[in-house]
Amino acid sequence: MSSIDTPAEVPRPRAATQTAAPSTMTWVTLALMTTASVASLRAAPTMAIYGLACVFLYLVPAIVFLLPTALVSAELASGWNGGVYRWVAEGLSKPLGFLAVWCQFAMTIFYYPSLLAFVASTIAYVIDPSLASNGVYTAIVIMVLYWTGVWVSSRGTKALAGLSSWGLIIGTLVPGTILVVLGMVFLGQGNPSAAPMNASHLLPEWTGLASLVLIVNNFLSYSGMEMNAVHVSSLKDPAKEYPKSMFLAMGLVLLIFILPALAISWVVPADQLSLTAGVMQAFDAFFSYFDIGWMTPIAAVMLISASLAGMLTWLAGPSKGLLEISRQEGYLPPFLQKLNKFGIQQNILVTQGVVTSVIALMYALIPNVSSVYWIFSTITTQVYLIVYLLMFAAAMRLRKTKPDHPRGYRVPALGLVCTVGLLSSLAALGIGFVPPSQFGGSSVWSYVLFIGCGLLVLGFLIPWLFLKFRKPNWRTAAAGAPSEGGRA
Amino acid sequence: MSPTRFASEHKWIYWGAIVLLVGLAVTGLIRYEAVKANNETRKKAEQLQTELVKAGYPSPDVDTVEQLLGTDGGVVCEQPGNALKAALWKIQQSNGAAGPGMRPVISDTKALEVERIVLQVYCPDKVDDFQEELNDLKTDDTVRR
Repeated sequence: MSSIDTPAEVPRPRAATQTAAPSTMTWVTLALMTTASVASLRAAPTMAIYGLACVFLYLVPAIVFLLPTALVSAELASGWNGGVYRWVAEGLSKPLGFLAVWCQFAMTIFYYPSLLAFVASTIAYVIDPSLASNGVYTAIVIMVLYWTGVWVSSRGTKALAGLSSWGLIIGTLVPGTILVVLGMVFLGQGNPSAAPMNASHLLPEWTGLASLVLIVNNFLSYSGMEMNAVHVSSLKDPAKEYPKSMFLAMGLVLLIFILPALAISWVVPADQLSLTAGVMQAFDAFFSYFDIGWMTPIAAVMLISASLAGMLTWLAGPSKGLLEISRQEGYLPPFLQKLNKFGIQQNILVTQGVVTSVIALMYALIPNVSSVYWIFSTITTQVYLIVYLLMFAAAMRLRKTKPDHPRGYRVPALGLVCTVGLLSSLAALGIGFVPPSQFGGSSVWSYVLFIGCGLLVLGFLIPWLFLKFRKPNWRTAAAGAPSEGGRA
Repeated sequence: MSPTRFASEHKWIYWGAIVLLVGLAVTGLIRYEAVKANNETRKKAEQLQTELVKAGYPSPDVDTVEQLLGTDGGVVCEQPGNALKAALWKIQQSNGAAGPGMRPVISDTKALEVERIVLQVYCPDKVDDFQEELNDLKTDDTVRR
């Protein structure tokens, strides 16, 4: 299967041999950051409803989407520094490299408000649940947390690497372990599992399109695995350490998604989980069974720390990739390419912050915006799939055009792996046009049109405008010149 | 910036985060009130049990229902039709992603319908607000029971 090799006769990857910047993080830290970007316990109650079938709902997407994404990004990052923009730029073209990192960056703008609204409602659950319906409270919490995140990110990769790793440990790994141990205690006491754990419940209910939507949309549970590759130059030996980091993250993500959801389904029956709206109430149902309901506010605080850890990794990753390619190719105005004294893309973060703040304020204060906000999560995930299409295409092309370029890790049967990844991404892109529950009985074509227009504007029109109006003098660094800790 | 100053600034960030999170946890523990089971909570839980069984759901554990919903339905009855709560509820009707891959799916009919029954028993005056949200949804039987 997979192998990590650096044959003696092959020159060591450039990343491994250069001596520029000192390493600022270990491969374990990078693995924890990657895990924090993708996984948390937030989804556990939602998936616990499916009982044993949640294993299928996570494993099948893991085989057809997570595995290709992880393996391919491990190979690419072990050969080229810089993350997805560099891989696509090297494999396909520089404008497509810009498109890839733009799509990765743009989709986060709509992600932060919904993530922080969830954090605001969880804080409200701890302090005073009635605050959750207060627009001003929600707006203030989103603003304070988001700009604090921007401030922390602007202090350098080391600060956020530490915070996001600890956020994952405290907010996901510790409570996840508690859930699983309690679930095992429950079964160990001789109690029957609330959800049937037999062969006939291995697969989810098949109802045609609805089931297909559920299964295929779950591919996206793993989106973001490649995002932290932009920090690969912060590792001591990227060629060897990045693949190790990716494999550890892959294992952690699978464990975090599957085991806690199963543990909840052992203890709380599916319909009892649905009795109470909300993630925290589901945890309350779980802890109430063991008469430790007081654990719920502690679990809420843990979940908050995990969500904020995830936000930090997303703040730092795509914006850094956008900066790198823009400095080299002049795709963004010089103002946006400016670095602060820590070598961080402060102006990109602040500009992104202003746009995010406007969207977040609209979400919190205008009911018409919040009621349709779910639709943006479809548009942004559609936009993100462009990144994967480009990444798999670039990986295949790089194997053909630069087969001898040193890589610390080579994916066995890369063509097959990339084809599976491409087909999965296309399937997820296609299923994104099927209206979900929230769209109700309105016209399917109006939904298709809305999602299609959103995809075109956010994923193609805006980056095209940047490319069209760029000026030669916007280029502020020679190709390959690093920013913070970067090595080409 | 010198490495010493860099490290000490980091220390402040870490300590700031720890103080805030611990403060929030302590606040949560102080404010947490376990529902005290009494005749009223029992009566409501049994009423809910009857309604659920009538609607074709398995009988829930009455003790847990008492703990979760008390006499007034707790958080479930806290402005269920509010725009922000409804928005978050809609965002949460999604796939198994916990990050930016979160995307809406076609939800399970019975899993959503059960909340309406809870409202009917614990705060019937708020059913209409929630019913409006529920009526707008297109659902299917996606959970194997």
